[in-house]
Amino acid sequence: MLLREVEYARPSSLEEALRILGGNDGARALAGGQTLINVMKSRAASPDVLVDLAGLGELTKISTGAGGLELGAMVTYTQLASSSEVDVTRPILGVVAATIADVQVRNRGTIGGNICSNDPTNHLPPLLVALDATMTIVGPGGERTVSADDFFLGVYMTAVATGELLTKVTVPPPGGAGDGFAALTIGTDGTCIVSAAASVADGAARIAIGCVSGTPVRAAEMEAKLGGDFGEASVREAAKGLGTTLDPPGDVHASADYRRHLAEVMAVRAVLQAAGRARS
Amino acid sequence: MEPVASETISVEINGELYEREVDARRLLVHFIRDDVDLTGTHIGCDTGNCGACTVQLDGQAIKSCMMLAVQADGASIRTVEGLAADGELNALQQSFSDHHALQCGYCTPGMLMSASHLLEQNPHPTEEEIRKALQGNICRCTGYVNIVEAVKAVGEGRS
Amino acid sequence: MSTTTITTESGTVLEKGAIGQSIPRKEDRRLVQGQGVFFDDIRRHGTGYVHFVRSPYAHAKIVSIDVSAALALDGVYGTITGDEVAIHTDPFFEMSTPPGANIKDYALAVGKVRFQGEPVAAVCATTRELARDAAELVEVEYEPLPALVDAEEAAKDEVVLHEEAGSNIVWSGVFDWGDVDQALAEADHVVKIKRLHFHRFSSTPLECSGALVEYQKGTGQWTLYCNHQMPGVGAIWMAPALRCGIDKLRFVTQDIGGAFGNKICLHPYYVVLCLLARKLGRPVQWTEWRTDQHTANAHGNERTFLDVEVAVKADGEMTGFKVKAVDDCGAFPRYEPLGCIIWAQVTPGCYGWRNIRVDFTQACTNKAPVSPNRGYSRMQHLWLTERVVDIVAAELGLDPVEVRKRNYVKAEQMPYETPNGCVYDSGDYARSLDIALELIGYDRLDERRKDAAARGKLLGFGIGSTLDSGTNNFGQSQLLNPELQFSGNNEAAMVKLDIFGEVVVTLGTVPQGQGHETTASQVVSDIIGCSPEQVHVRPGHDSFFNSSAGFSGTYASQFAVTGLGAVKGAAELLRDEMIKLAAFVLQAPEEAIELADGFARIKDGPEEAALPFMALGAIVNANNAFLPPDFNPTLNHRYVYRPYFGVVDVEKKMGKLTLTYASQIHACLVEIDPETGQTEIVDYAAVDDCGVRVHPQIVEGQVHGATAHAIGAALHEDFVYDEDGTLLTPNFYDYHVPHTMDMPPLKTGYVESPSPVSPLGAKGMGEGGGGGIHAICSAIQDALRSEGAPIVYDSCNPSHRVWSMLQDAEQTRALVEVTSK
Repeated sequence: MLLREVEYARPSSLEEALRILGGNDGARALAGGQTLINVMKSRAASPDVLVDLAGLGELTKISTGAGGLELGAMVTYTQLASSSEVDVTRPILGVVAATIADVQVRNRGTIGGNICSNDPTNHLPPLLVALDATMTIVGPGGERTVSADDFFLGVYMTAVATGELLTKVTVPPPGGAGDGFAALTIGTDGTCIVSAAASVADGAARIAIGCVSGTPVRAAEMEAKLGGDFGEASVREAAKGLGTTLDPPGDVHASADYRRHLAEVMAVRAVLQAAGRARS
Repeated sequence: MEPVASETISVEINGELYEREVDARRLLVHFIRDDVDLTGTHIGCDTGNCGACTVQLDGQAIKSCMMLAVQADGASIRTVEGLAADGELNALQQSFSDHHALQCGYCTPGMLMSASHLLEQNPHPTEEEIRKALQGNICRCTGYVNIVEAVKAVGEGRS
Repeated sequence: MSTTTITTESGTVLEKGAIGQSIPRKEDRRLVQGQGVFFDDIRRHGTGYVHFVRSPYAHAKIVSIDVSAALALDGVYGTITGDEVAIHTDPFFEMSTPPGANIKDYALAVGKVRFQGEPVAAVCATTRELARDAAELVEVEYEPLPALVDAEEAAKDEVVLHEEAGSNIVWSGVFDWGDVDQALAEADHVVKIKRLHFHRFSSTPLECSGALVEYQKGTGQWTLYCNHQMPGVGAIWMAPALRCGIDKLRFVTQDIGGAFGNKICLHPYYVVLCLLARKLGRPVQWTEWRTDQHTANAHGNERTFLDVEVAVKADGEMTGFKVKAVDDCGAFPRYEPLGCIIWAQVTPGCYGWRNIRVDFTQACTNKAPVSPNRGYSRMQHLWLTERVVDIVAAELGLDPVEVRKRNYVKAEQMPYETPNGCVYDSGDYARSLDIALELIGYDRLDERRKDAAARGKLLGFGIGSTLDSGTNNFGQSQLLNPELQFSGNNEAAMVKLDIFGEVVVTLGTVPQGQGHETTASQVVSDIIGCSPEQVHVRPGHDSFFNSSAGFSGTYASQFAVTGLGAVKGAAELLRDEMIKLAAFVLQAPEEAIELADGFARIKDGPEEAALPFMALGAIVNANNAFLPPDFNPTLNHRYVYRPYFGVVDVEKKMGKLTLTYASQIHACLVEIDPETGQTEIVDYAAVDDCGVRVHPQIVEGQVHGATAHAIGAALHEDFVYDEDGTLLTPNFYDYHVPHTMDMPPLKTGYVESPSPVSPLGAKGMGEGGGGGIHAICSAIQDALRSEGAPIVYDSCNPSHRVWSMLQDAEQTRALVEVTSK
């Protein structure tokens, strides 16, 4: 409803942002605000200081480098959805980004905010795990990279420590990979109830399930069972039992058992989508 | 620079410049409604879902309840009050009336700002594109049927 | 029926000029420019903003409240707690008989909290933010008690919510018409349904509740700039509580952002604001938060139907049914005891059952209080009748279209008296159904089933028949409690001709988007002979206008009858006087005078024999010396429309409970994804019959809106509580309401069966009757037929419930038992 008292700064350089973040344990980065402002309105969390990253233009760039597609942490969902560079390299990012919330939220919400808030129902964490992305974090100790597999630590918790900032997400070049994403949502294109992301390349699959745990869950057994056969029968067979390996929460939208079932259904759909798009 | 609990911001709204001192915690929608007395922008929820607070900021449709006023320092904002020039309804507003695209009128300002944003970027949208563009604006009166029709009519030059 | 005239109940013939046209709405100009005046837009110097401190518990004793820390905060004007409320006010009057009559309902919790979110104290401060901050500093100590979240459980009275009442049962009674036991004995088939459940949801208007309240110390006058949709009833509750005269409560509304019944029981909050305005000597303002609207405003009726038994003949004719209904009214009954009776307006639904028994119990639980919600109490009962017809048809292998047509009340039978003495005025349900079927391409149903199956989907076809009974006879309250002094209905309006010829109308109603300014102008302009643009209708409601009556407001699908009836009556009085005055001035007989195009003139007379309205207005207001002493026109008329019902029979629980019956027949096609249980509506048709359509576009808009509400309720919207009484869907994040991409292609059609009993032949129709819920439940059940034929037993079927039915069809099939001779 209404925020508690807070202090605000809009630094114009990364160094300044880090200095302020490092100077106060209660300081938090403000990206698009589409999650953080709501959290603060409900007073579920009340940082003392908000460090607005809007002045850091370098974080809004999309480019292609040696490591692949480089997405600045402040790139918005709208940018992802309308970027021809993304569309040419890893189109799944734009396709999924275009289904997050609505136009207004997409105009402000950022890839960095989505993955750093790590709400279990967010779209991008499982997707980036499936794409084997790498996160670049900058802090007082310098710059480091963390793989998506290691980035998400728990509900609302990531490898970004207090005083640090995520600066970019690097998605490896596809090679001949095909990517897929499937979810059951609350209403059309709404909040995910269960999601699954898959990337198929060179006869192997990376499959990540969202909304079933505090972090995206790699469907490792399913990946192994597939054994390079992405025909529908094989994929359905490989998915059997995936639900029993999970311990999802139950809530008003889905019971734990229903989520287990949906995980299998969405995993099949995501893998079939990905396999259908793969070129090797 | 140091973090501050309040600051003077300068915001252009509908072509007019406003300078006000605001608390850092002040939401943009309350700044617009209470500090600048532009009450056409409405509040319908507290989780950023309903879109009644939609305005255009630097050319993009955004929900002003999920932004702090201080974040809008230096920005150019357009609200529903900026659509009609001298009381002359623009084509979209007229189309809304012609097609009975409003009943209680509470969602209407936000709906108009989202629809304007769409038409500026895509002057001849399909029905599917219209529905997608207005997904973030909830209406409890009309069932959206006439709203979509009104926007379509403008796109097809029928208004 | 002629297309150019309307024959009204009094036999006069109205030339249909503006009536029947979809003229531009007067309300639109200001609303599309953001110039509407909603209560939160109104500003007063020195206003204090209010934030409520609310209970986190569903049921608890209040041990202590300490406001000192809040008061110490700079910028806080003051606070108020339940103890003060108990001193300065009397409890609100209760509608029910004992034990419900003994409930003590105050504006703030006194001694105990009974639902999560119940207001316990209020803080008033210089800004909204400070009020919110200060509210956090109020310390309340609670002693939690066991929470009751199930009405059947509550009815056992093992834990009692209201000690003064001694029981959780607010009211119970048996309604028995015809001879259902005989019908069951003679039936060829008896279909038993153990349990059906109509869920808790509400229309969640986009604008939340609230008010800006001023108190004038010198006169003891309160003014509430607010969005209360039934101020007459609000004042009846508030004045005795505040120990003041009704006239001391002035309600002013202008634009309201939707209400749908959810803004009828605002009196507890408003009493707190009145007390604060008086205590602090400044205007106080409160705007409800969305989360508070969902947790602590009002929900729609939640009703469980048990042990249904239906008597069916071999040819498919249904002769009777009996049912036990348990209504969950939440923590405080308030308006809700009327819900125990109001469903009886539509006892047999659209059907010709003659033998019906309903055993009705209403009980309190630790959930949000229930109050009227679009379709109030009739929707729940109509859903029951539709589920019954649908389940009977499915179990006995009867064609769903044929069984409905066989059992529908037929057009030839209208006006039709139901087993409990209500009269369905007109309607042609079979024809409406045919139109709906054509709109969704029913003849291609098999083809569509095959096509869906090829894509791995289950196609379902459903019908939802419903009624929208309008213009209540408040005498129905005497069936609830014979001692209540309420009966009949009324609505007022004023129409005057001003000095410069301006036609001004003030309404007693409280519009929230239904276009009353527009439709009122159509009626007035047709009667007094000018154009709607020349008729100025004052926006909104102001009780100081004296154009309101006891039941004034906008609720219960009645404006087209009561509101327009009052407008018509006032306009006719004005017209008659204008003619008389013009006749005197032009020295012609009254029969020779006509009013047209803004003039009063001699029919077929010379041009000079015409007086513009301005001349008439000027004479009466400023230049009246030449009028003879016994001729005193005022050109200013107030009219109270009072529909005639007669008195109800309290003993037999019979009578004319409502005046008009609009109907809606819906048909839809759904596709269910068997892997997820997700339902997609792929085709939808709604056919409305509300008699004469004063403004067709407005009527259609109401049909669209009611359908959207029904779709939301049928597939997504559910106020779900956990066992501790915590609401799990307290805001739009989890309580999903349909947006543009959730809506199916929606086709509408109409039939016009004029009402023989209403002033214009029009019927009230805004609520709709929940036809979409009935149709979607029917379609889902049809879609799942091939998967073990589970029974759709709940009115809300999100994907998790459909999936459960797919997983275990037997579990729901166990709810149904068929015995055949």
